[in-house]
Amino acid sequence: MSDLVIETTGLRKEFRTRRGGLRVAVQSLDLAVPAGGVHGFLGPNGSGKTTTIRMLLGLARATKGSMRLFGTAVPHGLPGVIDQVGAVVESPKFSPNFTGRQNLQLLARTRGIDAGRIDHALATVSLTGRDRDRYKSYSLGMKQRLAIAATLLKDPALLILDEPTNGLDPAGIREIRDTIRTLGEAGVTVLLSSHILAEVQQICDSVTIIGNGRMLASGRVDDLLGASNVYRVRVTDHERAAHLLEEAGFAVEPDHGVMRVETDRPPADITRVLGESQLWLEELTAVRPDLETVFLELTSGEALGQGEVK
Amino acid sequence: MIRLIGVELTRLRWRRAVVVLLVACTLITGVILVGTAWSYRPVSEADLANAQEQVEFELQQPYMQRQIKQCERHPDRWGVTDADQCAAQVGPQVEWFVGREPLRVSTAFREAGLGVITILMGLLMLVGTTFAGADWNSGSMSNQLLFEPRRPRVWLAKAAGVLAVAVASSALLITAFGGGLLLLANVWDIVVPDGVVGWMAASGSRAVLLIGAAAVGAYAVTMLVRSTVFTLGAMFAVVVGATLVMALLGISEAWFPNKNLGAVIWDGTRYYIEPPMACFVEGRPPRGLDCSGLEKLELWTAARNLAVLLALAAAASLWSFRRRDVP
Repeated sequence: MSDLVIETTGLRKEFRTRRGGLRVAVQSLDLAVPAGGVHGFLGPNGSGKTTTIRMLLGLARATKGSMRLFGTAVPHGLPGVIDQVGAVVESPKFSPNFTGRQNLQLLARTRGIDAGRIDHALATVSLTGRDRDRYKSYSLGMKQRLAIAATLLKDPALLILDEPTNGLDPAGIREIRDTIRTLGEAGVTVLLSSHILAEVQQICDSVTIIGNGRMLASGRVDDLLGASNVYRVRVTDHERAAHLLEEAGFAVEPDHGVMRVETDRPPADITRVLGESQLWLEELTAVRPDLETVFLELTSGEALGQGEVK
Repeated sequence: MIRLIGVELTRLRWRRAVVVLLVACTLITGVILVGTAWSYRPVSEADLANAQEQVEFELQQPYMQRQIKQCERHPDRWGVTDADQCAAQVGPQVEWFVGREPLRVSTAFREAGLGVITILMGLLMLVGTTFAGADWNSGSMSNQLLFEPRRPRVWLAKAAGVLAVAVASSALLITAFGGGLLLLANVWDIVVPDGVVGWMAASGSRAVLLIGAAAVGAYAVTMLVRSTVFTLGAMFAVVVGATLVMALLGISEAWFPNKNLGAVIWDGTRYYIEPPMACFVEGRPPRGLDCSGLEKLELWTAARNLAVLLALAAAASLWSFRRRDVP
């Protein structure tokens, strides 16, 4: 049996436009999310992230392809695995005139979930004091937290979160990130769709990047970022240091008062060459591309928000 | 499934619009019952004395005096044998000024009761519409499906909730209205003929089923079009426009919505048809030819027509809900 929690093969979704045309939101997407950890799901606006999530959760029908959750084919087998899946799709959607607690009560009763879990879920997202207020009086951040509380009602093994920190204040964002990280460490598989690349880089163990409905890259975050062979070097005498390093076979470029040194040799060699000439390092930092750079490189050829139109 | 229906009943109970509509159902039924009681209230001594005064006043009027004198001159022309009877025959009667008849339970149930049934049907259709519409408007349907992805079950549970509320509330209110009429008859010492209570129970039961079906129909249409406003517009168009359009198109009254509804409630109804041309030929029409211009729409025919309509709406709604993407 596969150890993949989410698996899609050749997934395709077409929408009919009002003028009778065809818009392809997702095309031939092969997505594989292994069990455990936090998996980032990145893509520009309109790249098909939300559509993919909605298809996985049975809210939208796939035009072609197959999907599996916990090895079970969905949407047909969704009733059998839905108790293991918690999800927030796009903006939170609850009945505006019901209180936060009433909204959770209705969802909990739908699955026969013990009412005690409502208190636990509300406490987890720090909504305990406002749970008897009407949902429509909540701020966007509170609505987002209620949506996350709803996902926690089921004690899920897979959490699918679509932009979960939208609208949250910095403290709220930090709380949610901590919660996601804690859940990931506790063995819950989290699929995190986000635009905030720094957030994904901080939280996620692995990532899939899509553009125009196609997968562009997938793998562990470290692997995608690649090994560093560029170093930032700061010393008191730049000119002499550059001369010594070039003589030793390093490629050196001045960079706003520091030096960028490119080499396949270990960084200890830089220290040794400079130290032998009594030049002492003030800074030696490996310069790695961040996820934003990788993302922009991968998606630079993609026309944002556009699918294939026939 | 039972658990899911319980959830939908709770959702209905918590929905403010539903509570307001049910309160409106109760108040309107109460107002119609009170209005009926007032219009059939027994004649009091004061009413009689007042009517008698009116009679005396009318008898003194010159035109009345002239008529009585004419009668006294030719009693036979006025249908009396004795001139002494002319004042009573020609003159005004006390009943004319009392202005109301004693309560006839069957008549009151048929007239005022139809008003109650019509209003309950309209308001409980609104319950079905607003219940489904709120889920689509708020977007909470997708959230519900994340907890119960079997869409036919969700559709059926919601329909069962609407049906239960519509049937329970209309049964309660129609029974209260009918019971109120019987109570008035009892208090006013009016004898209710045999069979009237049974007829009221049968008609009331059919009305309750009809109201339940109408509420489910409104729910089904809203689930299909996903808009409360559209459904309300369609309901208005059917109520106001359908009969008019069908009449203009020359479609038989047997297909008119109001005739079918009436036939179900009252165990058949009569509708107008064009009599055969032979009826308009001079002389007596051929024997055995029905020239009354009236045809009977049977209960079961009307029930079948309405059931087909409901089944079509429900099937389209359920099919669409199963297949379409949920926003």
